[in-house]
Amino acid sequence: MAATALCWALRAARQALPSLCPGQVRSYYVDWRMLRDVKRRRLAYEYADERLRINAIRKNSILPKELQEVADKEIAALPRDSCPSRIHNRCVLTSRPRGLRRRWRLSRIVFRHFADHAQMSGVQRAMW
Amino acid sequence: EKDESTSSKDSTTKGAPKRQEGTAGTPKQKLLDIIGNMKVEVSYRRKLQELKASESKKQAMNRLEGPDSEGPQRNTEDIQRGRPLNAELVKAASAVASSLPLNKKQTESELLAQLRRHEETTDKQRKGGTVNIRNVISEMTVKRQSPAQRGVRISHRISLELDEDGQRIRPERFSSQSFDSRRSLKVGKRLNIFTKASTEPEHALKTVSSPTIWDLEFAKEIAAITAQPPRNGFEEMIQWTKEGILWEFPIDNEVGMDDDAEFHEHIFLEKHLEGFPKEGPIRHFMELVICGLSKNPYLSVKQKIEHIEWFEKYFEEKKEFLQEI
Repeated sequence: MAATALCWALRAARQALPSLCPGQVRSYYVDWRMLRDVKRRRLAYEYADERLRINAIRKNSILPKELQEVADKEIAALPRDSCPSRIHNRCVLTSRPRGLRRRWRLSRIVFRHFADHAQMSGVQRAMW
Repeated sequence: EKDESTSSKDSTTKGAPKRQEGTAGTPKQKLLDIIGNMKVEVSYRRKLQELKASESKKQAMNRLEGPDSEGPQRNTEDIQRGRPLNAELVKAASAVASSLPLNKKQTESELLAQLRRHEETTDKQRKGGTVNIRNVISEMTVKRQSPAQRGVRISHRISLELDEDGQRIRPERFSSQSFDSRRSLKVGKRLNIFTKASTEPEHALKTVSSPTIWDLEFAKEIAAITAQPPRNGFEEMIQWTKEGILWEFPIDNEVGMDDDAEFHEHIFLEKHLEGFPKEGPIRHFMELVICGLSKNPYLSVKQKIEHIEWFEKYFEEKKEFLQEI
């Protein structure tokens, strides 16, 4: 398991190409929790269609109940990380699980930092 | 004549290493006399005239010499070539062959074959050259300047003001257009000077089949070096449009939507339901599925068909289980 996790981490750690504009160059995910979240998102994307179809059979009043029980067992057999409800939005820069602004995918602290330095387009301090 | 002298030089170089061995006999003296008699002709017209005059003589001589030579083979060859060899060359070849210690008849025939090849190539060159030049010149005409236009052009050349620059271009353009109307490009015989570059697709195929890692790295390096930072706002916007950050204006609502299917393929999906039983809860369920898919504008026709096919497979697998019920 450790070996597979390492392999996954190595695959995940992509080197960012040096771009012209100087900014943050991040070559790794911020922490392991972020990595796990990334894995969950990938699996959820892969199994999305299958889950949708099996759920369509399950949440049904027409098909016989035995068939629906079989479908229940099938969906439970899928990998646990393929469930979309296990995805938790985290800050893209700091991996903070709470205090997130969904539109920018950033935590409140990072958002405030960039907005004060005028690096967020169209964001202004509120005054009324 | 030049070709005769060159061919004689070839024959003499062959005979040179052997001469030292042999005695100073009569055939060698004959050879030297023949070579000494040959002159290098400079003027081309005299050569042509002499060729034409001597052709008839040589044909006669060859017919006489034919029965003397090594049988009917050479006769047929001569007739095939059309252009008979020079009598002097034949004599020189026979003299050289006699001076060599090897099989005389074989060497003589080989030498004569070589001479014939030389003659052929020179004939081809000569004939080709004259024909091409004649064709090229026939199409050309002398360009004549009218005195009025001539005066205008001289005056334009002298004046250097900026206003005249714009005006200078226009009358020249008109004159070139008028010339083109008189002489179109596709009229006349084809000169066959240029050949079509038909080797390009082969080269393209060769390069595409083997892009090595080094080639890719080199291409990346070049792209990185040539990608200079934008000098102004316009170039920045161009770069962003290329990357996809900026949309193309005027805004096209259907960018990225390459759905080639018509509306009826999205809505009328009953034809995909042929694999299912016609009655029963499964059919009822699939009809509901189709109703939902037909109302879905976000999926492509392929995705919808994939959904239906998955259900088909699933129910096929569960057939035995279903029949137990």
